[in-house]
Amino acid sequence: MPMTKVQSFQEDCAVLAQEKLARGKLTRRQFNQVMTALGVVGASGLLADKAMAQAAKEIVMVNWGGVAKEGWEKFYAAPFEAKNPGVKVTVDTSGPSTGKIRAMVESKKVTWDVIDASVTSAILLGGMDMLEPIDYNTVKISDMMKGFAYPFGAGPYSFSNVLIYDASKFGNDPPKSWVDFFDFKKYPGKRMLRRDANCMFETLLMGDGVPMDKVYPIDVNRGLEMLKKVRKDAVYWQSGTESEQLMRTGEAVMGVLWNTRAKILQEETKGKLKFTWNQGIIQPTCFSIPKGNPAGPLAQQLIASTCANVDGQVGLLGFLGNGPTNPRAAEKVPADLKQFNPTDPANAKLQLVFDGEWWGKNYNDVNQKYLDTVAG
Amino acid sequence: MAASSPAKAPRMRGDQLRRFYWLLVMPAVLMMVGLYFFPLAKVLWISVTEPVPGIGNYAKLITSESVHKVLIVTLRICVITTAVTLVLGYVLSYAMVQAKGAWLRGLTFFVLLPLWISVLVRAFSWVTLLRSNGVINQALLSAGVISEPLTLLRNEFGVIVGMVHYMVPFAVLPLYSNMRGIDLRLIAAARLLGASPWRAFRRIFLPLSLPGVVASGVLVFIFSMGFYVTPALLGGGRVFMIAEYIGVQITQTINWGLGTMLATLLLVCILTLMALLGRIVDMRKLFGAA
Repeated sequence: MPMTKVQSFQEDCAVLAQEKLARGKLTRRQFNQVMTALGVVGASGLLADKAMAQAAKEIVMVNWGGVAKEGWEKFYAAPFEAKNPGVKVTVDTSGPSTGKIRAMVESKKVTWDVIDASVTSAILLGGMDMLEPIDYNTVKISDMMKGFAYPFGAGPYSFSNVLIYDASKFGNDPPKSWVDFFDFKKYPGKRMLRRDANCMFETLLMGDGVPMDKVYPIDVNRGLEMLKKVRKDAVYWQSGTESEQLMRTGEAVMGVLWNTRAKILQEETKGKLKFTWNQGIIQPTCFSIPKGNPAGPLAQQLIASTCANVDGQVGLLGFLGNGPTNPRAAEKVPADLKQFNPTDPANAKLQLVFDGEWWGKNYNDVNQKYLDTVAG
Repeated sequence: MAASSPAKAPRMRGDQLRRFYWLLVMPAVLMMVGLYFFPLAKVLWISVTEPVPGIGNYAKLITSESVHKVLIVTLRICVITTAVTLVLGYVLSYAMVQAKGAWLRGLTFFVLLPLWISVLVRAFSWVTLLRSNGVINQALLSAGVISEPLTLLRNEFGVIVGMVHYMVPFAVLPLYSNMRGIDLRLIAAARLLGASPWRAFRRIFLPLSLPGVVASGVLVFIFSMGFYVTPALLGGGRVFMIAEYIGVQITQTINWGLGTMLATLLLVCILTLMALLGRIVDMRKLFGAA
């Protein structure tokens, strides 16, 4: 995977799972539990579907590579295949970047059916008429948490941008908000920000004292002014691994990063590094369908299946740390995992839900300004 | 005439021969047109048609502050990198010309060694060395030379260090091949006629080595303009150069008009420099043809 461009959360999940596996931290227990559950589903599904005798069909799902492929195959593809005999779900790991989707749709040579996109790129591509709208007759809106269903994307997992801090330095009076985060007098040291405007303006504005419910619509100029004040005291990450590394080596004493990475750091350092859900910015991923996809409406059914499959979502939380997006999933999460679930009711109520609509309209322009201002 | 005609007889006539040669290169030409020039033309086409037809993207060269900034930063870094690389490359090449046997082999090996190491590995090694609690700062701190860690990374300094490291072999190779062609007896003659070592170098060796310097300089400058990985990693987001800027426009924000305009600009600059270079030195010699 190229390390040179800003990595999306979706890309990072792939890397993350690989690292976990390498460290031998992947528990097969949850995996096997869920697989047993799936086996039951598979058996009953098989009987019902034999009569349907569907023509052999393939659906290609595309993610960002690594061991996330394994997670997708077990928690997304296998349950769907079990219920729909004759349908083969392939997980392709080439990375569905916004640019690639555009090139594919424009050249009318679409080979992908379901892509793992960010909300921003789903809205961007949707606005350019490059995605099929999600059919909410097939995908059950009741399977989606509030604010997580988009016209051009519905995703079965979520993630959050959270605050992490060095508890060995600030443990007595830990930072509780983005205002604390940018208080360099009280908490001296470098801050770690992401080199992408997405979620950083929310952080900057709340840091400048904007209350959580007044963040949207984003006041871009105010955010940029705030960035100018703090940019010299910050380091910037582009990939999830880098965000871990900057905190681990102590180059930053406080930072914004994805909850999946925060969990690893907190566990690995036995609480020396600690993260809080307070004022985290939570967003779903978007499973989207490129316009003119080869499998047609079958792709809608696959998305519907991943959003409805509570066990699969809980399984993926254990596997990669991604939060379920089905409102019925939280209660099924094992007790020891609840504290790491971004969509657990106790955690969700502390966070801000990302406004994808605003970002879809403004990302291009605002991100350029953000990158230019970071470069100073 | 009589003497040369028997030799000519079995050959094809001049224009026949030329046609035969064209036939031989045709597959390569067709491949280049289909797989290289055609897509390239499409890139140029996008730059004048997107988002609306016209030269709106090129107008940004004058109007957009963001584009100005990236061009200035790129130019500044390329000029400094080229200058530093040339000085280092010149010293190394000079030493190689003077060296013999094991010394020459050793020098050549260590000049070429970085070429075989991935650019990513090299960039990450520099991160380890240069970061605020990295090897260099730790050493200087414990030696008491400095009291606060120096900022060696995530700024233009770090990027230039990484780029110079990458470029030195590319400067050494043309310089060395040029210097080897210089008759060292000329220096001896100058010394014999009473010139000091410095004077002999300045008046004889340096002017004779200038074509190599120009060739190396242009090569290094052209390569520097396209740097992507090194600035992205060692600049830590604070150093935004043109290649990365284009990358953002193409893959992330799908602002293809702006991205292809800048790509076109880069291409035009490089072709211009190549044309200039071609007038100064024999390109075939530079790229290794006998």
